Amino acid sequence: MRLQFEEFLAAPECKIMIVTYPDIFQIEAKLKYGKFSREYQDLSAIIMLDSGDLKKIGIKDGDPVAIKSEGMNVVVTAKESEEEHPGIGYMPESVWSNILGVYPVSATVSRSQQEIPAIDELLSRSVS
Amino acid sequence: MMVCTGCALLCEDVERYDGEVRDACRIGTAHIRNRQQINPMVDRKVVDMDSAIKGALDILSHAKRPVFVGFGNSITETQQTGIRLAEKIDASIKTFHTGIIENILNNRVKTCTLSDVRDYADVIVFWECDPMNTHPRLLSRYAYYPRGEKRQHGWEEDRIAITIDLRYSHTASICREVHKIHPGLDADFIDALIDGLHNKVPKTTYDKKQILKLAGTLKKAEFGVIFAGTGMTTPQDAIIRLMDELNEVSNFHILPMTPGYNLRSIAAQLHGRADSGIDMHEADCILCLGFDLLNSLPVHEINGKMIVIDPNDTISSRYADVVIPCAAGGVDCAGSAVRMDGVEVDLPRIMESERISDASIMNQLLEAM
Repeated sequence: MRLQFEEFLAAPECKIMIVTYPDIFQIEAKLKYGKFSREYQDLSAIIMLDSGDLKKIGIKDGDPVAIKSEGMNVVVTAKESEEEHPGIGYMPESVWSNILGVYPVSATVSRSQQEIPAIDELLSRSVS
Repeated sequence: MMVCTGCALLCEDVERYDGEVRDACRIGTAHIRNRQQINPMVDRKVVDMDSAIKGALDILSHAKRPVFVGFGNSITETQQTGIRLAEKIDASIKTFHTGIIENILNNRVKTCTLSDVRDYADVIVFWECDPMNTHPRLLSRYAYYPRGEKRQHGWEEDRIAITIDLRYSHTASICREVHKIHPGLDADFIDALIDGLHNKVPKTTYDKKQILKLAGTLKKAEFGVIFAGTGMTTPQDAIIRLMDELNEVSNFHILPMTPGYNLRSIAAQLHGRADSGIDMHEADCILCLGFDLLNSLPVHEINGKMIVIDPNDTISSRYADVVIPCAAGGVDCAGSAVRMDGVEVDLPRIMESERISDASIMNQLLEAM
């Protein structure tokens, strides 16, 4: 694995409040392909962020971000919202969002080099 | 014709013809056409059904602090048997998102049926809910688009839709008024709105002009309805206070946007029932009935043995000590259910399958215990 210069710098963080929302396409993917499918993961392990917040942490639409709340953290894909909502991140209701706690959750979000964890990995991490 | 159990609207006008599903929404079609089937399992090894039921009996008979969770995605008959089984072994039953239903059952808030909404509602408020993503046909069948007995001009002239939510949802895109609540400040919004209903300028961080405009619209309602998200973060007492104040100056009803297709039924059956109140984290046995507990609770918070009875593969079924697959209500098993507005609906079976119903599984457990 090639190390990049940015990995040696502390990634800038942004404090946000996370709120969950329902997504019909994600519910459909769950029913059609199951919760362990790639289709479901791609529509679930995401966070919608304000364009200003994306700039603050130095990432662009589609980059992975680490979300840290009290005691728990998870890596998901950041998506740029069309509307403005600085300081608020929206996540679809799923195990990737629920693992962070009861909503609304106060958290920090920062750039990440890690891959999005699959459900099995996420849950096995929460056991250890 | 069949009844779709994809959500709590229980649409009874859905057709299944030559393997195709007609008139169902995106969720309903996916629900009716697909199954993520599971095998009966004990200790994560595939076994036959009898062994799985025996495995469940073994856990239940040794349990000292059993807890049953879910019940919202099961037919009423299964729920009744589940309650009898819980009473027999002194198990606690946990359901989720039933707060508003409880207040309706206690006559603390006024409610109505979906037919009333279609026929009479002129002001419709979507409070922390997004039916376009959860109950997709609510707007077209009842809440907004249809002509009703007293609403012959439908949405164009007769109805005003308002969204009050933490985000600009898809449902908000068709609403005349959209109000955004700040996370954690729901009660402040209600306080400001109550001030507005009393013609006072609210002391609030929210836009005072917008709040007064909203209060004015709500006061003019002939037949108002609040569709309330059951996962809403607003405290229940604040909702009751708002409903009381609204009904002093106007005529408002509340309907909970329940998740699962039969949550209203289990909430009614458990209403006023004494429960052993065992905490989930202290349980030595957890029986998940049509509910994916691990989707919302980290594994480390569960200490007991887990039994899962579900038509589909779930996160919980992957971690359970015993898995018992069952037929899906309204698809390959007949029964009855209660719609989100309290109307009882018969669910015919539309598909032959070898799977047995969860009612039959619960009956076997009850008789053997």
